[in-house]
Amino acid sequence: MNSDGKIIPGASVTLQLDGKPLPARRGQTVAAAMLAAGQRVLRHTRRSGKPRGLFCAMGVCFDCVMTIDGEAGVRACMTKVEDGMQVNSPAQFKPYERKS
Amino acid sequence: MSFTLDADLVVVGAGPAGLSAALAAANAGARVVVLDEYAEPGGQFYKQLPAEFSVPDRAQLDDDYTKGDALLAAVKKAGVTISNETLVWGAFEPGVLSVRRRGEAGSVKAQKIVVASGAYERAIAFPGWDLPGVMTPGGAQTLAKNQQQLPGERIVLAGSGPFLLPVTKTLLGAGAHIAAIYEATRPREWARHALRLWGHWDRVAEALRYRRMLADAGLSIRFGRIVVRAEGAECVERVVTMECDAAGQTIAGSEQVEACDTLCVGYGFIPQVQLTRLLGCEHRFDALRGGWVPKFGSDMQTSVPGVFVAGEVAGIGGAYTALAEGWVAGLGAARALGHKIREMSLLSAQRERTTRRKFGDLVNAVFAVKPGIFGLIADDTLVCRCEEVTAGEIRAAVAAWGASAGAVKGVTRCGMGYCQGRICGSLLEELTARAAGCAREDVGGLSVRPPLKPVRVGELADLAE
Repeated sequence: MNSDGKIIPGASVTLQLDGKPLPARRGQTVAAAMLAAGQRVLRHTRRSGKPRGLFCAMGVCFDCVMTIDGEAGVRACMTKVEDGMQVNSPAQFKPYERKS
Repeated sequence: MSFTLDADLVVVGAGPAGLSAALAAANAGARVVVLDEYAEPGGQFYKQLPAEFSVPDRAQLDDDYTKGDALLAAVKKAGVTISNETLVWGAFEPGVLSVRRRGEAGSVKAQKIVVASGAYERAIAFPGWDLPGVMTPGGAQTLAKNQQQLPGERIVLAGSGPFLLPVTKTLLGAGAHIAAIYEATRPREWARHALRLWGHWDRVAEALRYRRMLADAGLSIRFGRIVVRAEGAECVERVVTMECDAAGQTIAGSEQVEACDTLCVGYGFIPQVQLTRLLGCEHRFDALRGGWVPKFGSDMQTSVPGVFVAGEVAGIGGAYTALAEGWVAGLGAARALGHKIREMSLLSAQRERTTRRKFGDLVNAVFAVKPGIFGLIADDTLVCRCEEVTAGEIRAAVAAWGASAGAVKGVTRCGMGYCQGRICGSLLEELTARAAGCAREDVGGLSVRPPLKPVRVGELADLAE
């Protein structure tokens, strides 16, 4: 967070990211809080297991989907942090195999 | 649990077009509800800070943060209801929209609709565009401006179009280190359009201000270069660019490598037409204005009576076009509701809209995507980020199933993931047309079905109760 005093973020809160504490400020999105903590890889894809990060940051691309408080497929860029929020990387699974 | 909202006019989208439409209609006497998916109104152009952030002295903020204040204040004063965090995902009967707000299902009933859903950025695939750290310029701007969070430590901007300039301004203002800016076009390629700048003096002045900003920051745009690939192990570490000619063909031996941890690439914008398609509006393909756009008349009414459009969804034209068009659509909807409107106000907004559209068309023509850029997409390049479909899979499907974007989508699952083809749909259509050797519009657009964005099954059940 690069505040020069003109804009003051909200109160400090702590999320649980994959079971580990992650500090954040109210008003931040989950995605911004992760980025602030240096977490550039948000998840791995289900077909090839490749790393993905924040892409559009405005709710269009769904590349930042996480499991938040038990709900799967939630966009980290559209979700504001809450104290005690449980954020998990989507579980690895292979729902289907395709022949290309 | 479900909720219902009721109004004369529902406006979808709280950006410049939607707010302008809401204000015009409310001033004419209509009861207006504005639905917006974000936590704060303003859209991308008038993006507001999170409500949880505090600003001790608003006068200290630069105009990036305050330019929407007057319009938002006027909209609130006019008695317009703005429903934030409200996603419109369905339209099953005329005059009713299915929505979700903070996990709760709802219905919004209104006699008229103005769709001001805006646009999203045009991403064009290249090897490595799925690496963490590669993002859209608008995404980087949103992080820096709205979230007060720099996207990285060493940023490269690339692609094409004037939008790279306000993004640069925001990033510099937030203290970012910008390593390089690559613009696909060259000033000499713009020359034949120069005379069309006549009269658009406020925009010319804006361009000169940006030029001074770049000079002050010691930055110079590297023209005529495009990103050919991004490289890195877990995240982007460097970008490779090449020089290209006016058609976008790369020039052998011109490769350059630039180290970065953030690479922002954007080639303009694509109108967000999912809702107008769902509402059954007729569309046409307009390459100059960003792709598929709804057809509309002089009052911005679409082929579906009672459904109006305004701003980027009606064709890419910039925020000033959106403001004027919103005013036209708002007055048009108010008149259709039986309210008396000031005809002079409508006429002057229509004139303003025409002037602003001309400038938008000029910008679109100057910064049109060079066709050669699509030629760089190799068979093993990822196209659909959600379902992980490559260009080669798309080309094989075209060979087997022919020149139909819809058929290729069904066979490959390209465009069937979480984002519902918002990112890859235009690429899918382009690659299908190229592989089949036919015109882009002849492969058709992707069909749209509810839900427009994912909703939980439980919410659907709530709605049925």
